[in-house]
Amino acid sequence: MRVKLIGIDANQLLEISEKRQLSLNLEEMKAIQSYFSSLGRDPTDVELETFAQTWSEHCVHKTFKGEILTKEGKINNLLKSTIARVTKELNCEWCFSVFEDNAGIVDFEGDIGVAFKVETHNHPSAIEPFGGAATGVGGVIRDILGVWGEPIANTDVLCFGPQDFPYHKLPKGTKHPRFISKYVILGIGAYGNNMGIPTVNGAILFDESYVTNPLVFCGTVGLVPKSKYVRKGKPGDILVLVGGKTGRDGIHGVTFASTELHEEAEETFGTAVQIGDPIEEEKIKRGIIEVRNRQLGSAITDLGGGGLSSAVGELARLFNCGAIVELDKVPLKYPKMSPWEIWVSESQERMLLCVPKENLEEVLEIFSDENVEATPIGEFIRENKLNIYYKGELVGQIDVSFLFNEIKAVRKAVWKERRHPEAKFSMPDDLTLDLLKILSSPNVVSKESVIRTYDHEVKAMTVLKPLQGVYNDAPSDAAVLKPLYNSWKGIVISNGINPEYGKIDPYWMAASAIDEAIRNNVAVGGRRIALLDNFCWGNPEKPENMGGLVRAAQACYDIAKAFETPFISGKDSLYNESSAGPVTPTLLISAIGILPDVRKAVSMDLKEKNSLVYIIGLTFDELGGSHYYKVHGYLGNSVPKVDALRAKIQIDTLIRAMDKGLILSCHDLSEGGLAVAAAEMAIGGNIGLEIDLERVLVRGKLRSDHILFSESNSRFLVEVAEKNKDAFEELFNGCPYSEIGVTTESDELIVYASSRKLISSTIDDLRKAWQGGL
Amino acid sequence: MCINMIYEVRISYKPGVQDPEGESTLEGLRALGFEKVEEVRSAKLYVIKSDYDLQQIEEMCKRLLANPISQDYEIREVKQHSSR
Amino acid sequence: MRDIKFCVLRGPGTNCDIETKVSLEHFRCTAEILHINKLIKGERSLLDYHGLVIPGGFSYGDRVRSGAIMGKTLMKKIGNEIKKFVEEEKPILGICNGFQVLVEAGMLPGFKEEQEVALGTNSSSRFEDRWVYLVNENRGNCIFTRNLKKVLRMPVAHGEGKLILPLGLEEEYLDRLKRNDQIVFRYSYEDGTPALGKYPHNPNGSIFDIAGICDPSGLILGMMPHPERAFHWITYPDWTRKGLKGYGDGYVIFENMVKYVKDNF
Repeated sequence: MRVKLIGIDANQLLEISEKRQLSLNLEEMKAIQSYFSSLGRDPTDVELETFAQTWSEHCVHKTFKGEILTKEGKINNLLKSTIARVTKELNCEWCFSVFEDNAGIVDFEGDIGVAFKVETHNHPSAIEPFGGAATGVGGVIRDILGVWGEPIANTDVLCFGPQDFPYHKLPKGTKHPRFISKYVILGIGAYGNNMGIPTVNGAILFDESYVTNPLVFCGTVGLVPKSKYVRKGKPGDILVLVGGKTGRDGIHGVTFASTELHEEAEETFGTAVQIGDPIEEEKIKRGIIEVRNRQLGSAITDLGGGGLSSAVGELARLFNCGAIVELDKVPLKYPKMSPWEIWVSESQERMLLCVPKENLEEVLEIFSDENVEATPIGEFIRENKLNIYYKGELVGQIDVSFLFNEIKAVRKAVWKERRHPEAKFSMPDDLTLDLLKILSSPNVVSKESVIRTYDHEVKAMTVLKPLQGVYNDAPSDAAVLKPLYNSWKGIVISNGINPEYGKIDPYWMAASAIDEAIRNNVAVGGRRIALLDNFCWGNPEKPENMGGLVRAAQACYDIAKAFETPFISGKDSLYNESSAGPVTPTLLISAIGILPDVRKAVSMDLKEKNSLVYIIGLTFDELGGSHYYKVHGYLGNSVPKVDALRAKIQIDTLIRAMDKGLILSCHDLSEGGLAVAAAEMAIGGNIGLEIDLERVLVRGKLRSDHILFSESNSRFLVEVAEKNKDAFEELFNGCPYSEIGVTTESDELIVYASSRKLISSTIDDLRKAWQGGL
Repeated sequence: MCINMIYEVRISYKPGVQDPEGESTLEGLRALGFEKVEEVRSAKLYVIKSDYDLQQIEEMCKRLLANPISQDYEIREVKQHSSR
Repeated sequence: MRDIKFCVLRGPGTNCDIETKVSLEHFRCTAEILHINKLIKGERSLLDYHGLVIPGGFSYGDRVRSGAIMGKTLMKKIGNEIKKFVEEEKPILGICNGFQVLVEAGMLPGFKEEQEVALGTNSSSRFEDRWVYLVNENRGNCIFTRNLKKVLRMPVAHGEGKLILPLGLEEEYLDRLKRNDQIVFRYSYEDGTPALGKYPHNPNGSIFDIAGICDPSGLILGMMPHPERAFHWITYPDWTRKGLKGYGDGYVIFENMVKYVKDNF
């Protein structure tokens, strides 16, 4: 069907964009108009939809790759000038494939590489939490399949509104945070468990800004034999669509309500919401791994946003060729779909393979053996054009080069420093209650009841699990996998995120997230760390949102560069905003490290009585955004900063100490600072602990409660056997560290400031509070 | 194939068999303030379009749909509306 | 010695097949992962193998009930082959979903040739992954647990693992299981005292704390816990504090299975 474009005015162009839900702006519509004017014809609906998909924020990251005007000058391509720049300048030889494909890939052992990707699935999870979260997991798993990877582990970070949010305050049409959290968690568990992929790491955070817009970050790690990572499609290769049937799922969300489609609206109602079928994906996975092992394919990609239109277009561009696609060959869920719907459908559990003609039969047989539908739908051609047919008729023809010559977006960024009321309260005489309150606060409290609903050890590779300690109930800093049966080498997965800091300054929020992800990784022995970024922000067309985004991206460059940790992949989700306002600027940093010998992994639970406890790193008066301030009703301004050069020396030294076997246990200091870290270690080991705050190395003059609860970055609490005191101290010579306490025969956590007792609590009471019993 | 019959097959736990989903739903409802709920029992409903007769549908229940040890089944015939 | 060959049977949604295969092959035998379609189509025969393992996972998406579709399909399509396999006294191990399949197929407890017991939804009504203690109560009938120590530790990870006996006949069934020496594993405390239904030691509410049973011959074992995930100490949840002690408690179960075949075929 043709759409009249030639000769119409600006208003009419915009009307078409809006009516067809293309989300194309005037400039983009004009570019399309003049392209077709030069061809002397109007576009078909298939062609117009192709542009809308390919030029969408989701597919091309308009904001990160566009122009940004700031007070300090123009930024051309924020991604290249910050995040990708770290990777380029560090130029690590162990980075195998970065920012190119569906997932980043780094070296692991011999020919085996590790692929890692983290995605968000926020809006679908707000509308249909179970299906939204499940398909989020399914989608990121396909990203790993899309680099010929075998998925081996999932990681999930979730941000919800407060669980006790009053019902009467809920904006109309918004589901209660309790409902959303329950079904998101079920959805994640269902997909990962059913596919037999362990969910090994994660976090759950709460903030009012997530009431209308929850954040669901889904990550997957996979193994890729580098010699079988094939991307060499060529003219003549067959395009094979693999997996579930194609339906109207996820086409523009609400397009069905438009008058044109009204007659069919009833028939298809409900299909816009996708639930996901993990068993279908498990079967697809088996087939793909077999095709990979026999090296029968020439390229592969997942079908995500934009469906076939994006997948075929991107592959054609990659191989500098064109393609013929016959849409009527695509197996359908409902018979009456129009060609453009087939072309842009985002139905789940589908992959696109390129197969040299001579291998086609064998590939089809492999999928047939797994009861998976596999259908040749077209082929690559030499000419640089996409030729889209439906029942023999040409319904679309587009130059690949024009398709990928999208209009650059221009955004304005304004950063305005925010001042929040300073905390004003005097130090309580006893801080035990403060500690118990923080332990039982939503962001800190044990997530065991959720963790246990995820299978975190299927595949029998998870050697450091999410829960640690005598009773298996204390929080691990990171997960360690031993993915090869004949090697002791391990993969370490961790994350860093803190929306509280985002309320104060996105720069230090981002810096802290990087520091946290790295120190969590290091705390169990991880090294040679690579990072992934996931930005969740409000509308980028608003300069104040962009101001924060630019600052956060700059922090990514500054801090990751100093840590020498390259970014290998990332994603941005930039329209997390509703009438209730934008979400708190949130950056998730995911870290993937290696451990040469998993038998040297260090867990966070105290191991022995009468051993020494050291703090590594400096403590500053940094309580802005801290949990201590939060339980006293303040946010404050003194957000924790990062001195990455100093931190790097500390972590390098700590790794050396671990390799020498000097560290019995190690835990990072984050939310709740020293007090919470000490409590969690005591809970884990069920061993008492005495700490003297006077011996903590501080910068500036700090109140005792501030020393105890400051959330300064780059700090660790470590347990060292008395006999190793000299060796440990010699190694750390030159690093900021101090011996601050001992593990005891008692069952109490006691914190002194000189001779004054500030905290005195039994481990049982700590555990009860941490398990939500306050 | 022109199918005229629709059956609704309801699978529920036998009385006396614990129904964990019903129990946790009861807890959830009470937590939301619906204190006057006394009991919740869960059940699963299959809608089967088929021209098999009732006896054969019963056979399906016995052989696959219901677990003979813990579940009961109930079959309801629903005649399909004539499309004319 | 002839080459010993095990079949690790998978259906759509089975997902613990690789670690199960690796566990068996540790004992120098061949373990082949075989899709159920190959048996149904007659391309392969179960009788070519010396032992059968049905590993964990979500066969057919656990639709209807866990293990139901695979269990019923097996009996309908290759029931005779399975009967022959059992008659030849070859061992069968069902782990987690595999246990559910054996129960749905009517092969366990094996009093009659139809389904007699059920594995129902956990009392907690949710999927749970946790390590549990098991007390080995078998008196020698089960070939998988010979020379096995009294108390073992393994993880469970399932949503439907609660053994249910026919209503009103519980005592009768229990007596029979005990009399025939068919009770193999019970959920327990660290010292081997049975959990007596107490959560989380008994993680699913299973009757008499039953975690695993065998058939009257002792050649077919079904268990909810995962021995393949407790094969080596490095996968234990607290090895960082207890130290690495070589092989885990799941090791002997596979060793016994292979040894039985080596001794008898």
